[in-house]
Amino acid sequence: MALCGRPNAGKTTLQMALTGAHLRPVNFPGTSVERVESTVHVGDVDLRCVDLPGILSVDPVSRDEQLALDFLRQGDGDRPDLLLAVLDASKLSVELHLLRQLRRLGLPIVVALTKQDVAEAQGMPVDAAALGRALGLPLVPIDHRTGGGIPQLRELLARGAAAVPAAATGGDQDPEQLAGGVQRTGRPARLWTDRLDAVLLHPVLGPLALLGVMLLVFQTVFSVAEPFVALVEHGQEVLAGAVASLVPEGWLQSFLVDGLVNGLGSVLVFVPQIALLIALVTILESSGYMARAVFLLDRVLRKVGLTGRSFVPLTSSFACAIPGILAARIIDDERDRLATIAVAPLMSCSARLPVYVVLIGAFFTPGQAGFVLLGMYLLGIVTAAAVAFVLRRTALKGGRSMLAMELPVYQRPSLKVMGVQAWIAVRGFLVTAGTVILLATVIVWALAWFPRPAHIHESFEARRAAVVAGAAGDAERAHLDDMEQAAYLEQSALARIGKAVQPVFAPAGFDWRVTVGVLASFPARELIIPTLGTLHSLGEVDAGEYGIGAMTDGARDEGLRGALRRGRDASGRPTMNWLVALSLMAFFALCSQCVSTLAVMRRETHSWRWPAFAFAYMTALAWLVAVLIYQVGAAFGFAPG
Amino acid sequence: MRTPACTTPCLACAVRGQPVRVLAVDGGDALARRLGDLGLWPGTPVEVLCRAPGGDPILFQLRGYRLALRRDEAARVRTAPVESAA
Repeated sequence: MALCGRPNAGKTTLQMALTGAHLRPVNFPGTSVERVESTVHVGDVDLRCVDLPGILSVDPVSRDEQLALDFLRQGDGDRPDLLLAVLDASKLSVELHLLRQLRRLGLPIVVALTKQDVAEAQGMPVDAAALGRALGLPLVPIDHRTGGGIPQLRELLARGAAAVPAAATGGDQDPEQLAGGVQRTGRPARLWTDRLDAVLLHPVLGPLALLGVMLLVFQTVFSVAEPFVALVEHGQEVLAGAVASLVPEGWLQSFLVDGLVNGLGSVLVFVPQIALLIALVTILESSGYMARAVFLLDRVLRKVGLTGRSFVPLTSSFACAIPGILAARIIDDERDRLATIAVAPLMSCSARLPVYVVLIGAFFTPGQAGFVLLGMYLLGIVTAAAVAFVLRRTALKGGRSMLAMELPVYQRPSLKVMGVQAWIAVRGFLVTAGTVILLATVIVWALAWFPRPAHIHESFEARRAAVVAGAAGDAERAHLDDMEQAAYLEQSALARIGKAVQPVFAPAGFDWRVTVGVLASFPARELIIPTLGTLHSLGEVDAGEYGIGAMTDGARDEGLRGALRRGRDASGRPTMNWLVALSLMAFFALCSQCVSTLAVMRRETHSWRWPAFAFAYMTALAWLVAVLIYQVGAAFGFAPG
Repeated sequence: MRTPACTTPCLACAVRGQPVRVLAVDGGDALARRLGDLGLWPGTPVEVLCRAPGGDPILFQLRGYRLALRRDEAARVRTAPVESAA
């Protein structure tokens, strides 16, 4: 069975109501494009149910529509047995226009009539029974607020395609006459959507509201996730402490504490932000506000060579560039689509967010946090605009796109949809990124632990022997222990790699540890967190020595953030401060550090040219901007030390 | 900016508070077909709801829903005024 209908008709909500939210994304055959599939159990019958992208007609304009229609028209066994056409009662005549075209496909059709409430509010209620009779098709009105009609629809579907007349008569009625016969017409009443639009689409208030909404989203992601992040970090320290007290000192203890527990913590620390950001983006999308943002921004985005529709893939890229690049399929013009794909990875994705959170948390006050975070997102956006502008005037000149877009009635976002989307994102992250991060953590730990030449141990043993015995020498001995760890780290395999490459990043203010973090994060940018964590926890020098007790904000000194603030080089000078943090964040904002994104880009553009181009320009820009920030800051005397 | 020069009345030069009726959609290309799919058939009553900052795109009310069209898209739809807004 295939669910099909115009965009915003309520297909996904209907699918969730029918199946109880057991959705799983699957690929269209032969493409990388995802569709959502689920199974409906009715009695002893299992129905495979595919949610197709919204279509306006059987004459496709975008790739999205093309895919939906290819699926309906395919000749092989995967062709659906039954079409569940979802019609929005509030705009019946255009919906019937599509239904008339769908009937010509020759598939048995069941009709679900949604949004009767909107039609009623507009003063144009639809007589569902009369419509069903006039169409000669089985029709069930659905009320998404109460779940009304769902049991009847399930029963109807369970009886299967056999119960539905395949080629019913009267398929060619004029949609306007048909609608006129079953719907009271008249001047539509003023809805609260119109009242809301009067403000949200106001020429002055609208853009201000949009800016406010985006700022609210970023501040929420930062502040609401913060206690959970702190909890994960605290749990990590407790667990590390417990393991350290159970396992004797040595490589096993270090492997468990600095390798495994640290790696686990750095995976889990992402989860609150990812869940929150996806939930917020889902709210914006399902409430209908996203379409308003497209409307407000179309003119601006066209100026830089994109289209209003680019807003959706670009906004999705704030969660992850991969769904963002896939979402670019809704763009009808091929040049617009390629330009959007090329700049989508510049949007700060959720994998960058933890990098920002850690560095902002360590080096900026809570009052500055939201602004610095917004600044990082803006840096990506402004750069994307500049790159798109250049692309559309050089490699991707010309072309002509359409906007022609519906602005749906505002609706309350469904908590269920929100939860499902957040869960899909978190689960995907834990399964794929999680394992990669854990593995990389262990590799980084091994590189940082080995080799351990005996002469270091001997020299420190000699120095420890010289310290006075008893409690008076305890502090001195503890300090020597830390110095020994730092000495091991300084000559580890990892340090040698970092020091060899460090001159490249020295102009950006990165020391060898940060350089190692940057190098380790080219396969996946989130790897910098466990790398820096391992490097700083292994080589951590006694905190008391540098007056950490004077710091007021306790939470800022827990976990990695504290370790970063306490980082010192061989001569005891701090290696990081807010300027280095800023330069590092800017590097991460712009750099292409995600193998999966490049792979998806190749699939969607059918060429290695675009991913190669994206990798080259992003990495070069990232280095340039990081160097620029650090050098300007250093000229004003803000360098650390 | 607000009232662009139109040789024949079209949706691009429609004004808020003055409902119009669609006469025809010009051209036989993909855009014209798409405008038809969106419900802009001859005789369809259309109203301007608002314009985005800068006057483009334009938001219309027709057939029970809200449709955003760019100015050059709207210019393809020839219109006639509706005498009495009933």
